[in-house]
Amino acid sequence: MNRNENKTPVLSGRDLNKEYTNRDRKVRPLQHVDFDLYPGEILGIVGESGSGKSTLLKVICGIEKPESGKMFYNGEEYTGKGPEKTGKFLQMVFQDAYGSFDPRMKMEKSLKEGTGASKDEIVHAIGEVGLKEELLDRRPRHLSGGQCQRMSIARALLSHAGVLLCDEITSALDVTTQAQVVKLLMEIRDMEQVSVIMVSHDLALVSMICDRIMVMKDGVVVDQGKTDDVIANPSDEYTRKLLNSIIAV
Amino acid sequence: MKKQKAKLRKRVIIAAVFAGILVLIAVFSGVLAPNDPYATNSELIRQAPSAQFLFGTDNLGRCVLSRVLIGARTTIASTFFLVAISFIIGMIVGMLCGFYGGIVDDILMRIADLMLAFPQMVVAIAVAGILGGGLGGAMIALGITMWTSFARLARSHTLSIKNEPYITAARLQGKNGLQIMMTHIMPNILEPVLINALTQIGTTMIGISGLSFLGLGVVAPQAEWGSMISEARAYIQIAPWAVLFPAAATVITIIVFNYLGDAVMEYRKAE
Repeated sequence: MNRNENKTPVLSGRDLNKEYTNRDRKVRPLQHVDFDLYPGEILGIVGESGSGKSTLLKVICGIEKPESGKMFYNGEEYTGKGPEKTGKFLQMVFQDAYGSFDPRMKMEKSLKEGTGASKDEIVHAIGEVGLKEELLDRRPRHLSGGQCQRMSIARALLSHAGVLLCDEITSALDVTTQAQVVKLLMEIRDMEQVSVIMVSHDLALVSMICDRIMVMKDGVVVDQGKTDDVIANPSDEYTRKLLNSIIAV
Repeated sequence: MKKQKAKLRKRVIIAAVFAGILVLIAVFSGVLAPNDPYATNSELIRQAPSAQFLFGTDNLGRCVLSRVLIGARTTIASTFFLVAISFIIGMIVGMLCGFYGGIVDDILMRIADLMLAFPQMVVAIAVAGILGGGLGGAMIALGITMWTSFARLARSHTLSIKNEPYITAARLQGKNGLQIMMTHIMPNILEPVLINALTQIGTTMIGISGLSFLGLGVVAPQAEWGSMISEARAYIQIAPWAVLFPAAATVITIIVFNYLGDAVMEYRKAE
């Protein structure tokens, strides 16, 4: 399943640690986290709420700095660089599709303002994600959740980033729209050769579309490997529980 | 709901029309004033309202109507100017504190807390007393505490949106803090802070007129409602019109602008 095992990782994290104090209690959302993302692959990160997967995304894109550990893009270290710098090579698609666009801006301005793309490029990009040009004249609240999420993907495409970070992008969508967005994501991966990190608590969804899976619990990576291997032979009790919960459903 | 919104919109329009009329009167007061507001005449001292002097004359024989009209310019213009300056300073400080946080936020917000710990008028009287008389001194005295309410509001709204995904998205698009504040934060927090500015107009007018009344604001012979009331109260029993008309002008203007502020706030809440 993994087509990239002989390639150099496009994105890597080594021994990432994150710690903060919440009401006099030390919280460690990331503990010695290692991961690799290969070109053109979709890496799924699963785990329950509070497992550290969203913190990992924040560390990857530079919104939060790790206490220790290093981040690499194409072998070059970028640890400590903020999102203003990391945005050149990675983009994020958010769980809250509506919230990812300025509520006062029309979609065209939002897409143009962020990426500097021309009108033609914008029209082409939203065409690629299956949206019509007329939607560019609307504000986010006048779009459906699915349309908004597609716009978000179009914005990421317009930035020509090599890595797409998807944070629970389907959790706020209905089942039909979920399937459409996931299909779109896979098409884009194939067409644009972007690498994708997909964070989700939905192991069933992740196991369907991801080349590799990383399972997190309490800030620790408890299982990692090719999707088929992790599903067939989970090495951790927590992964087994997650898998059992899917089967039970 | 629609009916209620239409009713509230009507309130806003009515208040805005009255406020607009007052502003127009202030702007064109020089043209509208029937007499020279500063011309004294010993033969026309304390004349009761008549066809020649609709609001009567004061202790120096000056036309009260002309002075009320010219005073509108002084009072309304200085109020607008002070609110605008406080709004701008408060917006900038609030956005910077809310967006960047850290030690600058701590220092500026403690200063704001300090200002808010005392009643605004008490601080204003103390500062105006130190600065001496004059409209400029009165405005500085009121402005010293006034920016804090705008800064606190702007800061809290900035804090509530600075972690929104669209701000993160903008950062990932390479936008720096200044660009994000100008493009995304300011337009999104402008409305509540502007509404606050509208509601502050009445209070500021009371402040300016109050300081002038106490002799810490506008100085004679410049026409200003507070100072006119202060001058005329000495002979209120023999020429009550010299107090009544500037006082009525103050009350009406404050009511109109407070009503406008409340109407806009309620309309936006309903929306």
